[in-house]
Amino acid sequence: MLMGGLERATGGTVKALGHDLGALSEDQLAMMRRNHFGVVFQSFHLIPTMTALENVATPLELTGKRDAFERAQEELTAVGLAHRLDHYPAQLSGGEQQRVALARAAAPCPDIVLADEPTGNLDSANGATIVDLLFDLHARHGSTLVLVTHDPALAQRCDRVIQLRDGCIVTSEAA
Amino acid sequence: MSLFQATRLARRELRGGLAGFRIFLACVILGVAAIGAIGTVRDSIQAGLAAQGAALLGGDAELELTYRFADETELAWMREVSDALSEVADFRSMAVVGDARALTQVKAVDGAYPLVGAVRLDPDMPLAEALATGALPGAVMDPALMAQLGLEIGDQFSLGTQDFQLNAALMLEPDNATAGFGLGPRTIVQRAALLGSGLLAPGTLYSTRYRLDLPPGSNLADMEAKAEQQFENSGMRWRDARNGAPGVTLFVDRLGAFLVLVGLSGLAVGGVGISAALRGYLAGKNRTIATLRTIGASRRVIFLTYLLQVAALAVVGILVGLALGVGGTLMLSPVIGAHLPVPAIFAPYPAPMLEAAIYSALTVLIFTLWPLARTEDIRAAMLFRDALESAPSLPRWPYLVASALLLAALLGIAAWFNGNPTLTFWAAGGIVIALAVLSLAARAVRALARRLRRVGRHRPALGWALAAIGGPGTTVGPVLLSLGLGLSVLATVGQIDGNLRGAIARDLPGKAPSFFFVDLQKDQMPGFLGRVEGDQGVSRVDNAPMLRGIITQINGQPARDVAGDHWVLNGDRGISYSALPPSRGKVTAGTWWGADYDGPPQVSFSAESAEEMGLHLGDTLTLNILGRDITATLTSLRTVDFSTAGMGFVMVMNPSALDAAPHSFIATVYADTKAEAGLMRDITTTYPNVTAIRVRDAIERVSDMLAGLASAVSWGASITLLTGFLVLIGASAADQPNRRYEAAVLKTLGASRARILASLVWRSALLGAVAGSVALGSGILGGWAVSHYIFETHFDVIWSSAVAIIGAGLCVTLLAGLAFAWGPLTARPAAILRARE
Repeated sequence: MLMGGLERATGGTVKALGHDLGALSEDQLAMMRRNHFGVVFQSFHLIPTMTALENVATPLELTGKRDAFERAQEELTAVGLAHRLDHYPAQLSGGEQQRVALARAAAPCPDIVLADEPTGNLDSANGATIVDLLFDLHARHGSTLVLVTHDPALAQRCDRVIQLRDGCIVTSEAA
Repeated sequence: MSLFQATRLARRELRGGLAGFRIFLACVILGVAAIGAIGTVRDSIQAGLAAQGAALLGGDAELELTYRFADETELAWMREVSDALSEVADFRSMAVVGDARALTQVKAVDGAYPLVGAVRLDPDMPLAEALATGALPGAVMDPALMAQLGLEIGDQFSLGTQDFQLNAALMLEPDNATAGFGLGPRTIVQRAALLGSGLLAPGTLYSTRYRLDLPPGSNLADMEAKAEQQFENSGMRWRDARNGAPGVTLFVDRLGAFLVLVGLSGLAVGGVGISAALRGYLAGKNRTIATLRTIGASRRVIFLTYLLQVAALAVVGILVGLALGVGGTLMLSPVIGAHLPVPAIFAPYPAPMLEAAIYSALTVLIFTLWPLARTEDIRAAMLFRDALESAPSLPRWPYLVASALLLAALLGIAAWFNGNPTLTFWAAGGIVIALAVLSLAARAVRALARRLRRVGRHRPALGWALAAIGGPGTTVGPVLLSLGLGLSVLATVGQIDGNLRGAIARDLPGKAPSFFFVDLQKDQMPGFLGRVEGDQGVSRVDNAPMLRGIITQINGQPARDVAGDHWVLNGDRGISYSALPPSRGKVTAGTWWGADYDGPPQVSFSAESAEEMGLHLGDTLTLNILGRDITATLTSLRTVDFSTAGMGFVMVMNPSALDAAPHSFIATVYADTKAEAGLMRDITTTYPNVTAIRVRDAIERVSDMLAGLASAVSWGASITLLTGFLVLIGASAADQPNRRYEAAVLKTLGASRARILASLVWRSALLGAVAGSVALGSGILGGWAVSHYIFETHFDVIWSSAVAIIGAGLCVTLLAGLAFAWGPLTARPAAILRARE
């Protein structure tokens, strides 16, 4: 939340891509996320009134991409949802919703993808699929993936693991 | 046992406060207050009219004769049955001051006037003193007429050939409840002063009224029967203090009934809000109900628990609404009373309070029964998963039957209260159809918004708005239902009013005559025709002899028994005679009498009226003309066009039947506006007994009256709109968590606050425009139907009203939408997203 500028730090500073996030206004933070971040949440957080395609196209529209919907469709196809483009979130399973969220985060080719417990609300099979897609996205777009997880095995798939306990960094090492 | 348990549970739940019920209460309060206030004003006027019956009438009873004074025998009877008698003659004339002249309704009174009540004059003096003859006979006059003629107290003016001195302004005339419906302001003079004026000559148009002060304890019904017997077939009309101003009473009754029905439409909109509020409240109680079911509460106990809460809140709402509606009316009674043209006795009358309470209680039950019934479908398993999702959309059959019975009870009681079942059922049908149409429109709008999503591509704010309108959880239904009905009523009133007034004030002057000249004597006709036909500015002159009479019998039976309450039987009608068929209009059935026909009386009748009254060729009509019965055979039917406000007689007879009776002529003159002033001056100067009625003035009076009526109905409809606004506020408040969440996600994706605000504005504006447009559609359809089928006039869309309706829809939704925009715009995304984790 702090790294994505969704919450303000009560002490210290948070710097991302050379910017002090604490010094930016709400709209500047939004611009920052629009241009540089993709976020995947544990609870998906899709907009319920929009179809899967619209949800994915929204960040592209915000950056003014003329081919927003074509690219959104490509991203949804890449996560295996080409047949679910016009479905609303309520019509999708949890795994499918998280794949839409993943496509939404990946579509603008962000510099950093923040994934906050992306498998926390999914069963193991769906969780495994999502993790594979997440790493595939990282490989395809070359985005920095920041993955928050309680699963040590999953953490071990990352290049670097920072372990937090009670709000403090315990270890920081290359995997 | 269930009731006892439910009562305890309900009491505990209500201890939690009324947070979820604010809109519920507001809707009930507003509905009750509106209907209570309308009913209280109506009953106050009725009480005023009843209490002032004798004063409004000018006596305990009144006998009215048309065109003549009572003869000695009749006067002797009246003197015998009464303690005091007053004779009043009423007619239209021209008040003339130099070159200025104006139409006035003259009341020529005797020394006994007024038998009941008092005339108030300025300067304050007794009427007898003001009317006394000094150098000239005295007169008093309505201040509006004084201003029109530029008259001051002490100035002179003339009526006919008689000069008068104005001694006072007439501030209050007790027996003048229908003054608002007359064509000219009042002048009062002594009848004796008119003897030489030529204004009350035989054949001129006037009515005489004999007011009786009856001995104490007289039975008015018995007296009426005796009078009917004494004056049988004389054209006498009886009125008494039981209903001193029957026309006004009926008018107030009808308008009150109509406004209460408009108030009911407000209650229906409130019902939508009540239902939505209860659904929202119960949705938050699902887990509580599931828990109660887990620990053994029966479905009946659960249902009763929430029914009792609804009932308790409804009672509170009704009591507060009555206090506001009735109390507010009583507090404002000095202001309301000052604006009413009729007396009113303001008090908290039980009937309108009961009426408002019953309507509201039934409406609350009707709109809450289905949401309450759904509490029975909540199972204990709900605690573990959303078991309600699989519940059927319709409640079980006993609730459907109960809903139908409650609706029938509401309609039956409304019909009984306002005494007009037809109007009630039409209004109820209109409300139900409007709600059904609005529901369908909401579905259509959702479908359209989904189809138009491509339009929103690359315009994110518009796209999000369209997605919110077309997507799941849309508020388009509540918005259209809540606003649509109020706006529809306003739009319909606007279109009907605009078209009707347009037809009268805009179109009619183009085809109507400029003047009606009445009371022209036969020997004045050559000179009159010479003047008007010789005027370059006059394009057409029509004239005809005119008498007035009442149809008393049809084929020997009382006319009302045969033709019911047809307008032709309402009072006296103009009757003419002619040797030749009319040049305008044509005979559609039967044959016209020969030019020199001299046999038994024959009559030609308006074909349209004859059809409505069930008259056929060969029928006999008995007409009372100047107290004499004439029975004529219906020998022809002809077209009569009343729509141009020109000369048109329902009945025309052969000359020999009528030409011996005293009568005058009527003429219509079609002239350029520029020629009007000169014509009026010349004719009324040359023939002082002649009255000129300028049609343009009459049209303005009628137009003003219609504007007043439309305004009263619009105020009623505004209550519906205000209720709709409340419901909308409730819907917006209920929807706010969703908007906050949506805004939080959009901010996460990089949307600025300006863009999110633009999206909210788009959403409100689109919904408002749609609500306005749907309402306008209903308004145009309703306006067209009323214009086409009832008034039979041409229909044009009134664009000023249309723009106002769409504007009102936009303003109301924008207000309600933007009032709740601050939260989504300012909320930090993290807190909102975390709350949904």
